[in-house]
Amino acid sequence: MALFDRFKKKAEEATEAVQEAAESVEEAAGAVTDTASDAAEEASGEHVAAETAAPPVDAPPAGDYRKVRITPGKRGWGVGLEVKPEDGKNLIYSVTGGGIHPVAQRIADLTGGTPFDGFRSKADFHEIAVAVIDCGGTARIGVYPMKGVPTVDVHGASPSGPLMRFITEENFVSGVGLGDIEVIDG
Amino acid sequence: MTITYQTTVTGVGQLAAEFADEGILVFFGSDAPEELHEFAILTDHSGPPARPVSAGDEVEIAGARFPVLCVGPVANDNLAGLGHLVVKFNGLTEPELPGDVSLPAVPAPTIEPGTVIRIFTRSE
Repeated sequence: MALFDRFKKKAEEATEAVQEAAESVEEAAGAVTDTASDAAEEASGEHVAAETAAPPVDAPPAGDYRKVRITPGKRGWGVGLEVKPEDGKNLIYSVTGGGIHPVAQRIADLTGGTPFDGFRSKADFHEIAVAVIDCGGTARIGVYPMKGVPTVDVHGASPSGPLMRFITEENFVSGVGLGDIEVIDG
Repeated sequence: MTITYQTTVTGVGQLAAEFADEGILVFFGSDAPEELHEFAILTDHSGPPARPVSAGDEVEIAGARFPVLCVGPVANDNLAGLGHLVVKFNGLTEPELPGDVSLPAVPAPTIEPGTVIRIFTRSE
């Protein structure tokens, strides 16, 4: 269909642009990582305390990143994703109602990435380690996979909507709660 | 009927018309991230509806009113928090997806900047 072809073309263009931009961003990354762990510590107390199910956070040292495995929840879709922020690509990008979602906060706390509210500030895709959405299945569910951004849906949505063809087991997992995020290296 | 929500369209993404051709209108408040703008209809959303949207309410788009047939379980959170509303002209009485607000299976009205969206409820 013409609609899908247009999205596909745009996605390909976006990927090329990201590759070109990636090199120029590395220099700027140092400044961002310095503030990352401070922000994570400050924000973590409130959200984690509110969720008794979440194990205690063992944050990595400042400037260090850890890899986490994010698995689908009971009613979720997918096989799971592995996420490890890196310099210049360390944003845990929350595109959710009510500010930084607790799941995004927890991913940030465990990985050393920087929580980021997509509704308050602007980021480029190549800066995003993972996007966290609370999508009911039509729009956001496909946008971030289409842009090449690994995507975590806190709702248990399965691939659907007009952008469904961009959603794969490699870039999407759903139904994710605080207990579905585990450090696998450290 | 009582108005519970009103917003005005501020912008229409380049690909929003193609979604509309499939009977889907995707609204977001205008603070939505830029990557959502191209297929979204942006509004001046400034706060949640006076009461949650439910089946039996009516949605008015550009002066035309449509009965709400069903409302998905996350649709009201989306609207209250983000001004995000997924309206589907699909005639379904059970939501196809959790974010849906389903209306009768008729062509979607044309949306342009300035178009007013209202939601009405019959309850007091």
